[in-house]
Amino acid sequence: MRELELELEALQRQAEARLANLQAELDRARVADGLAAERLEALQTEVDELRRVVNDYEGLIQKLRPAISELLAHAIHNSRDEMAEALGPVMGEAIRVQIRDSRQDMVEALYPIIGETVQKAIGEFTREFQRNIDARLKSAFRPANALDAVEARLHGVSTAELTLRDAIPFTLNELFVIQHGSGLLLAHYSQSGQSASDSDLISGMLTAIRDFVRDSFGKEQTELEEVDYGEQNILLEHGRAAYVAAVITGVEPLGFRARLRRFISDLHVKHEAQLRAYNGDPASLPALQPKLVRLGEEFAPSAPSAPKPLSRAQRNVLVVGMAGLLLCMGLTLFYGYFTFKLWPVAFQPPSATPTITLTPTHPQPLSFTSTATHTPTSTATPTATFTPTPPNTPTASLPPSHTPTSLAAVAFGNVWAREAPDFEAPQVVAIAIDTPLTVRAAFGEWVQVEWQTPEGARLGWVPVRWVTFQAPVPPALITPTP
Amino acid sequence: MSHTLQKKICLLGDFAVGKTSLVRRFVEGRFDDRYLSTIGVKISRRALTRPYGTLNFLVWDLAGGENYESHSSYLAGVAGALIVCDLTRRVTMAALQRYTSQLRAVNPKTVCVYLGNKADVLDRQIPEADLQMLCANFLGGPYLLTSARTGENVEAAFTLLAEQIEQA
Repeated sequence: MRELELELEALQRQAEARLANLQAELDRARVADGLAAERLEALQTEVDELRRVVNDYEGLIQKLRPAISELLAHAIHNSRDEMAEALGPVMGEAIRVQIRDSRQDMVEALYPIIGETVQKAIGEFTREFQRNIDARLKSAFRPANALDAVEARLHGVSTAELTLRDAIPFTLNELFVIQHGSGLLLAHYSQSGQSASDSDLISGMLTAIRDFVRDSFGKEQTELEEVDYGEQNILLEHGRAAYVAAVITGVEPLGFRARLRRFISDLHVKHEAQLRAYNGDPASLPALQPKLVRLGEEFAPSAPSAPKPLSRAQRNVLVVGMAGLLLCMGLTLFYGYFTFKLWPVAFQPPSATPTITLTPTHPQPLSFTSTATHTPTSTATPTATFTPTPPNTPTASLPPSHTPTSLAAVAFGNVWAREAPDFEAPQVVAIAIDTPLTVRAAFGEWVQVEWQTPEGARLGWVPVRWVTFQAPVPPALITPTP
Repeated sequence: MSHTLQKKICLLGDFAVGKTSLVRRFVEGRFDDRYLSTIGVKISRRALTRPYGTLNFLVWDLAGGENYESHSSYLAGVAGALIVCDLTRRVTMAALQRYTSQLRAVNPKTVCVYLGNKADVLDRQIPEADLQMLCANFLGGPYLLTSARTGENVEAAFTLLAEQIEQA
């Protein structure tokens, strides 16, 4: 810009000099030669016009602009290095000023460059991530997709990693089936449904690239497997007579390569002779196109489908199902309720049921007689786990007695004395069989007895069926509460 | 009923005999006298209308002067070849035999058409003896004298190759 300003000033100076010359010439003409009035007038007009032009700064710039542009272009073309050196320091400052004043414009201007770079970096990262996971999964054959998760786990790949890998975007753009030697296109599939006009050229160039790599670097048994081009990858799977090329974007899902391999292998199993003998006449080829389309559609993105309204039959089935479910729930509740209520009746706590016939005889203190039809079969050791099993239901009756405060009795078997007349009440101590007892109270099917131990007299509640009374229990001992 | 065939053909010959210019003239219908050496291979396509339908020529323009034995993959599946020499350089004529042998080693039944290119540079009045000498280089095969610059016989050369392929 400085140079331009200098150029402009030089032009102005030239114009002013010419103006001065003209003025001088005019003066000389007036004084010396006495030019004709017309000549003087013309010269005066010319001088005025020049003055006007020189003083019209905007007009002068407009006139000089083409010349300046040409001058710049000429300078850039002839002395690029000098121009670069001259403009370099200014460029940095100019960019800073531009960013400060027009940030959005700069972003839009630089986006095509920076955006592409960032996209490429992200793509590289994603592929690297995929390769890491693949390397860990590659060591074994996977018979079915259902086993992938298990296998991945076995190889140290978490389900989360596997899910993430599957979630990476992937698009299958195109598929080519190409004859090996000639590079002639055998079949082509495009995701967009449009037939690429250059598909036969692409197949030829792919073959040329593959041939070049193999001839130049590869060995006979190795083949080019992948070509990266920007965001697109071309995956190649080779057969003996033909190969398949898949143009994809993103990272291929697990099993994609295996599917390509299976496809080309199946083609060879069925049509190898025809693939090998193909001479450019499509009529000699088997129907490859439908097979390729099916393969492509396997990996086509599936759009989420909107839920359909239920049909009348489906609604009826749903209503009947719900009614059946409610009925089952009702029956279950009913059965549960009665089971709960009848449980104590059906499954009473284990009880010894000796048949005791109390013979009301004359009261004989400290002696009793009983004629039990069965002798309880029990061990003599009183333990907490002991469960006597007398065969019969107790039929003890508590007849009124003349003894108002106590009644002599004897333990019918080894039995737990409890703190309260309840099987759930805490156990006091076990009473050994034939222990003399004194009945202190009676409550329902329980009696409170007292007996002597080396530590002294003890008191506890025992079921009445485990006690043999010497006399009927007097009503005075029967208490309404424990 | 229209029928479409695909055929892979190639151009062989020494450096700067005009292979790429012939292809450009045939495919794009133009000539560019700037010389750019072909690296590797360049593939073009042109459809020819034939009595039975369409013949799609996939033209593999191979780099000149290559030892095609080391890149024999390029020659696989070739239905026909245009083997080109420069009429102004005798040494390029002598190489025709070598290229033919290399091609036949990969494809024994491939048909060949020999082209003497840059015919526009030659004096129109070629002595009969010289013409006979030129033709001797064409190994008894079908040949044409062509000029990519003027377009002389270029279309005819590819048509001749198509006929040879169809007759094979």
